[in-house]
Amino acid sequence: MFLPLSLAVFLSATVVLMWSIAFVVRDRPVVLKQLWAAAVVECLLAVQAVSAAVALVAVGREIVVWEYWGYVFTALLVLPAAAAWAFAERTKWSSVVLAVAAFTVIFLQWRLLQLWG
Amino acid sequence: MSKSASWKQRLERRLDTTERTVDPREGGTGRGFGRVVVTIYAILAVAATARALWQLIDHGHQAPLPYALSLLAGVVYIVATVALARSGPVARRVAWVAVLFELVGVIAVGIATVAVPGSFPDQTVWSGFGQGYGYVPLVLPFVGIWWLRRTRAPR
Repeated sequence: MFLPLSLAVFLSATVVLMWSIAFVVRDRPVVLKQLWAAAVVECLLAVQAVSAAVALVAVGREIVVWEYWGYVFTALLVLPAAAAWAFAERTKWSSVVLAVAAFTVIFLQWRLLQLWG
Repeated sequence: MSKSASWKQRLERRLDTTERTVDPREGGTGRGFGRVVVTIYAILAVAATARALWQLIDHGHQAPLPYALSLLAGVVYIVATVALARSGPVARRVAWVAVLFELVGVIAVGIATVAVPGSFPDQTVWSGFGQGYGYVPLVLPFVGIWWLRRTRAPR
């Protein structure tokens, strides 16, 4: 995996995580600006998924394919789900959900790096 | 809401509101804090189910029982997720059964893996009380039970 891209995912997801924790503390629901930030993370994840697919086909790495793509798809799913709930839940709990989603992205990114070796 | 408003403005407006936190006894299991419970159940459901499917397809012959058990755990997590997200007496009952099943599963498999190391040839979600998943599988059923009791409608 392209390391700068991974670092960008870590950094941007951490921003979303901290931002939503700050909102939880202040008892506020998710705002649109946070969803733009989450969209940036999502775009980075999508670019990463495509580039990883290309790299896998081109270089043919020895990798546990099922596990790897399982993590990739889970990572791609959590932020849109959290964003959808930001509209439905206009209390601080939408911020908690976004924080959980951002944390999941960070955790999965770390696992992906481990798998890639 | 005027029709000339751009989609950006519309999104902005929809996210410019703040509701009071609903009373858990009126909002059902899927509102407020319940969203967090449902989110974590959903993540665990996807993780457990995807992993078990991959294990069964990739090397299922090595340890069919633990992998089948993992798959069952994953499916029950999916049931718990859906039941907690929905409201109504039937969904509540289903959620209770699913959450209690997870509790019994994680404790039984946890004890088995700790007392008799090697009783399971490979990791399951419940091995070592959910160690591989940050003990989330052990903590979550208690959170689920607490939340189901907390949201019980007043009689």
